[in-house]
Amino acid sequence: MKKPVLSLFLVSLFVLAVVASGCIGGKETTPTTTTGYAEQIVIGVTDKVTDLDPANAYDFYTWEVLNNVMEGLVKYKPGTLEIEPALAEKWEVSEDSKVWTFYLRKDAKFADGTPLKAQDVVRSIERVMKINGDPAWLVTDFVEKVEAKDDYTVVFYLKDSISYFLALLTTPPYFPVHPNYKPDAIDSDQTAGGAGPYKIAKWVRDEELVLEVNPNYYGEKPKTQKIIIKFYRDASTMRLALQNGEIDIAWRTLRPTDIESIKKEGKFSVIEVPGGFIRYLCLNTQKDPTKDVKVRQALAAAIDRQDISNKVFKGTVEPLYSLIPNGMWSHIDVFKEKYGDANVDLAKKLLKEAGYDENNPLQIELWYTPTHYGDTEADLAQVLKEQWENTGVIKVEIKSAEWGTYVDYARKGQMMVYLLGWYPDYLDPDDYTTPFLKSGANKWTGTGYSNPTMDEILTKAQTIVDQKERAKFYEQAQKILAEDVPFIPLIQGKLYVVTSPKVKGVVIGPDMIFKYYTLYKEA
Amino acid sequence: MARGVGSYIIIRGLMIIPTILILYTIVFIFLRILPGDPILAVVGTKNIPPEQLAHLRAMAGLDKPLYVQYFDYLFRMIRGDFGVTLAFPQGKPVWEYLKLRFPATLELTIFSFTVSVLLGLITGVIAAKNKGTKIDTSMRIYSIVAYTLFIPWFGMMLQYLFGVHFHLLPTSGRIDPGIDLQRITGLYVLDSILTGNWEAFTSAIRHLVLPSITLGMVLSGAYTRLVRNNMVDVLSQDFIRSYHARGVKHWKVTLYALKNAFIPVITLMGLQFAILLGGAVLTETTFSWPGMGTFIVDRIDYRDYNAIQGAVVFFAFFVGLISLVVDVIYALLDPRVKY
Repeated sequence: MKKPVLSLFLVSLFVLAVVASGCIGGKETTPTTTTGYAEQIVIGVTDKVTDLDPANAYDFYTWEVLNNVMEGLVKYKPGTLEIEPALAEKWEVSEDSKVWTFYLRKDAKFADGTPLKAQDVVRSIERVMKINGDPAWLVTDFVEKVEAKDDYTVVFYLKDSISYFLALLTTPPYFPVHPNYKPDAIDSDQTAGGAGPYKIAKWVRDEELVLEVNPNYYGEKPKTQKIIIKFYRDASTMRLALQNGEIDIAWRTLRPTDIESIKKEGKFSVIEVPGGFIRYLCLNTQKDPTKDVKVRQALAAAIDRQDISNKVFKGTVEPLYSLIPNGMWSHIDVFKEKYGDANVDLAKKLLKEAGYDENNPLQIELWYTPTHYGDTEADLAQVLKEQWENTGVIKVEIKSAEWGTYVDYARKGQMMVYLLGWYPDYLDPDDYTTPFLKSGANKWTGTGYSNPTMDEILTKAQTIVDQKERAKFYEQAQKILAEDVPFIPLIQGKLYVVTSPKVKGVVIGPDMIFKYYTLYKEA
Repeated sequence: MARGVGSYIIIRGLMIIPTILILYTIVFIFLRILPGDPILAVVGTKNIPPEQLAHLRAMAGLDKPLYVQYFDYLFRMIRGDFGVTLAFPQGKPVWEYLKLRFPATLELTIFSFTVSVLLGLITGVIAAKNKGTKIDTSMRIYSIVAYTLFIPWFGMMLQYLFGVHFHLLPTSGRIDPGIDLQRITGLYVLDSILTGNWEAFTSAIRHLVLPSITLGMVLSGAYTRLVRNNMVDVLSQDFIRSYHARGVKHWKVTLYALKNAFIPVITLMGLQFAILLGGAVLTETTFSWPGMGTFIVDRIDYRDYNAIQGAVVFFAFFVGLISLVVDVIYALLDPRVKY
């Protein structure tokens, strides 16, 4: 018996000794390159990289990583919504805008030096169609077939005239992937990537992703040799890691309270980026009491968006008065024009017309999901409840379900009034209207909304090429939205990048994708 | 001793099978009772046509009747196949995840276990040796305070103090970013020793300090009390007095007493090890430790049936094994135990 006790003590002493010796070491400094910039930058995120295969990846952060290790035929100019050539030097479009011809650069190569040719583009797109994963519809809904005319010419034949096809081409399902990707199956942990400015050097799922400069990238070489992405479980741990110097950048997503206090501390740079992420309420148009349009209108009138932004999000979001986000062409503040903010009188009037008053108040069930949209969700529901109950004619019961259940309830139309959010697939008003307002396409929302006039307008807007003409249709669509109120837009998210003061070159455009190649850290 | 150790181990080992079967059935039923499914949870609010949803469901085998799904997975497990993940990313062998995540939890558990036993023994012995004094009272208070500490709060306090304030230790993760460590067992400390990578070794140990202390300290309270009470009993026995009378050195007497007081502690150690594996969930979340606890929580959110079932069964199997080993050790150490 003597032995185990003694050895236990000895092992413990050894561990303590090692721990103590480790503690003395302190922090390591970041190695620098000859250019005077730090060789590596560590970025912390609370998001996950779900799938390194663009045929199956369908979440925002994974798309960001794919955008750094791959490239499409065209891309957004950093920080703008302007589309510029990428792997394609130029392109032509047929008169009916159904046939698009792209001429590839001759110096494009994959990270291992394999030349990238038209056949690779065709193989990659056909692969997405064959695998038919989550994001496949971004290709299959629009592309009839794709052909390689020669080594450097790719032709897309579309099912219909699609005015925003170039915007679609900026999404990962259209990115050419290295021949190492399995030809007809999802290849989730494949690190061969594409022809982007970085290549994947190391990938330990949920722990660390290391990107190194792609030596064969045709464009300007990034200033930072190595980008290390560290994955965090929650925002508070990420914030501590930033304050302890373990990471240089805290990216998606710190909590509003963290951002507020970091700003006050003044030790870090807080960069604000407009985001296309929107939050809104869904209203069931098929079931009582929200079946009554006057009820829906009243609920819209009683909401105070600035109050939500201040109370719940500490001013880190902006009020949104349409489904099409602020700053996007064709956006109009339709809900502000029609209802204003916290218009209690109008809400009462509408409810009276619908048959409700103080003695017979409207009973509403408001649903939220506790973690999927961050830990501010319960507060958001509470503030909405207060605003509606302020009218004196509405009684709100708050209910919640975790994500798996919530989505099921939503799709089945089982909830009355419920909170959801939307990250765009492509940056066009179409992606903020058709999936919500067009009959059939909006089945997933569970609102049951259908309006033939709306359907007609949205179909026309999809096929017309001229942006000014299209804008007129989207303006019409937004006015009908404010009239029918199957959704109530609430807020538009902003993104915050918090960096150590030495980090420079943060450029994030309206596409909300952080391109790491512009980043550098002063030594 | 009639049947011998061998048959005891076999019978005790076989008892793990019904335990796992019952657990699997409960998990299977509960997962299916909950509304929603893995495909919906992954797709979320994305605008995916119903035909494609049906296609994705069929690909995941969710279109089959429940009893077929139940037995399919059961027979797979018997063959050592835990199926493939149904969410983020779909189609990856669950076993791959278990291989990746389990060593992280095991490493944290081993270190926390060491901390808890060590702290428990030291404080327990000190309390017993000073029975009835202020020291005894303070050790007993320690045991209560330690036991009631809330892991996320305590962990965060340590992170602030040793990370943000003194910049002594990393606050999260398992190893410094960018350190290349060849993965052999997945236990980073062991791997770094095996490969002679001392930079990785120091880094892995430094990352283990705060989570191990957090989890270890919380569970040390139970040891303090148990060791104290047993030591007090043993120290008052005749044979201890006779040691003293014979002039045996003080520390040697303490060691003899500890030896006798240790047997009940071993039982607790077996139980604590299982609790540590489970209790790692909170610690893993607080320290962004990529282990099994956080894996299961993530997967529950996405209704990843295969991953949850696989992880729970694997966990249960491992805990069963530990408890078997502890029972055997206990039986070997205590001559009063009959097989």
